[in-house]
Amino acid sequence: MSAEALQALWLSVKVAVVATAANAAIGIPLAYLLARRRFVGCHLLDLFVTLPLVLPPTVTGYYLIVLLGRRGWLGAPLYALTGWSIAFTWWAAVVAATIMAMPLIVRTARAAIESVNPAYEKAAFTLGRSEWRTALEVTLPLARRGLLAGLVLAFARALGEFGATLMLAGNIPGRTQTVPLAIYTAAQTGETGEALWLVIMLTALSCVVLVAANRLGGRAP
Amino acid sequence: MEWSAGDGTAVLFGPSGSGKTLTLQCLAGLVRPDHGRIVVNGRTLLDTATGVNLAPQARRLGYVFQGYALFPHLSVAGNLAFGLRGRPRAERQARVQEVMARLGLAGLADRYPRELSGGQQQRVALGRALAPDPELVLLDEPLSALDAPLRRQLRDDLGAILSDWGKAAVLVTHDLPEAYQLATTVVVYANGRAVQSAPRTELLWQPASEAVARVMGIRNILRGTVVKADADSIQFRWRGQLLEGANSPSRCYLPEPGSAIAFYVRPEYVRLIRKDRGGPDALHHANLMSTTVVREADVGTVWTLCLRLDEPGPPAQGDYDLEVEVPKLVYEILEIPRDRRWQVSIHRGSIQVLPAA
Repeated sequence: MSAEALQALWLSVKVAVVATAANAAIGIPLAYLLARRRFVGCHLLDLFVTLPLVLPPTVTGYYLIVLLGRRGWLGAPLYALTGWSIAFTWWAAVVAATIMAMPLIVRTARAAIESVNPAYEKAAFTLGRSEWRTALEVTLPLARRGLLAGLVLAFARALGEFGATLMLAGNIPGRTQTVPLAIYTAAQTGETGEALWLVIMLTALSCVVLVAANRLGGRAP
Repeated sequence: MEWSAGDGTAVLFGPSGSGKTLTLQCLAGLVRPDHGRIVVNGRTLLDTATGVNLAPQARRLGYVFQGYALFPHLSVAGNLAFGLRGRPRAERQARVQEVMARLGLAGLADRYPRELSGGQQQRVALGRALAPDPELVLLDEPLSALDAPLRRQLRDDLGAILSDWGKAAVLVTHDLPEAYQLATTVVVYANGRAVQSAPRTELLWQPASEAVARVMGIRNILRGTVVKADADSIQFRWRGQLLEGANSPSRCYLPEPGSAIAFYVRPEYVRLIRKDRGGPDALHHANLMSTTVVREADVGTVWTLCLRLDEPGPPAQGDYDLEVEVPKLVYEILEIPRDRRWQVSIHRGSIQVLPAA
């Protein structure tokens, strides 16, 4: 395998790990809110979080450029202030992977949290626990298998992200070229041997992840 | 309806869906009632008039949930210590040890709820609620998750634990024997409302209304028309018969002549007149009626007979007028399977008049 392919593999894993961490930090609290609270705009929030699941990744990527690009709504003030833009850096790949994987963790985690019997939470309240402590000590531990399964799925999705990454991060070998992008480039330029290696690697990794997700999700907590 | 538990156990009794559990959740602060006031030991937990509404965390009430809701991811010790957060570690451990010893849970500290028997689970749930020393314990159908034989024994245990810990308690059940055994005061629920609150003995013999009697599963609840009522007795007409019942000395009820009246006759207090002992006499056999057996059922230790009066007109309870219970031996001696026509008598003290609700 070439140095470029190894770089792509390393970058993919790095991006997927950071994106999964971000999803744990953002997606699980979001899932909790959607599962346990009724608030103004909760349906809208649910819609926005789920949208990347059904939109073509290029459309999601386009929105991300509009939002975070050097001339984007958030990107322009950031560039004016720091002279740095997220576009075409490996952080862009992280953002794209996070947004694309978010629906998976939120939906899985939400279902897991909703399946926790509210009587446990009520019991914790009557024993003096705040809602915040109850979530940490009762609800999330009881939903942990579902949460882990969601994170594993999100990791797999982040690993395979292509369209939105291409839009926001580009396809720069050694900097933003993840495995899916490297496979695309290799196939386009006729380096089929190189592509085959990466395809096999990615397929094997995805299989491992899916088996892990099934085993976690299948067992009762 | 206002009721108070005193220092004993108030039992909220009624059919499923009559609002008992909702009352408990209002007490615990898990549900906010539209209006009302809850005061425990002089501490106002809720007063919708003044806007006071303490959070469940601040109410200091123990709650034993239906099905117990023991935390499945925590051991017995973890469950028992859950309400002791914020106290020094040594004190927490000592309290858990004490609770386990008093409830007969010694040696089970490291077990998980799924590894416990039904009885042990119940005691852990009680212990978890009692450990923080609450001012009041709320119990929602604490025995409904158990099989009948175990249920009986745990009913005794539960009563002993509650009186041993000296905790005032509010207990919800739809089982009358359970209510009767565990209660100091019984509050009867029907159709989403509390309809009677009474010391347990009074409730059983003097249901306050027809609705209460129906909730209690009392049989032979019938309706007649008043002929005459005085402090001693009430005469009324029912199915063409003139019947007389004793008026309650403690709670005299004087309805107008011509008004409708509800009454009940306990099936075990209807007498069948033996045909081999001479005719009935008016002195000993009040409220005499001629009847025919419509059908009967063997319900274990006794036979239940459905009797129809030998009177024209539709029977009071579907195809029969009175339900009567006779011991098996009597059923056999009187040869009831062969002989279907019987005169019956009801002592005037056995006709209980139900005041209009």
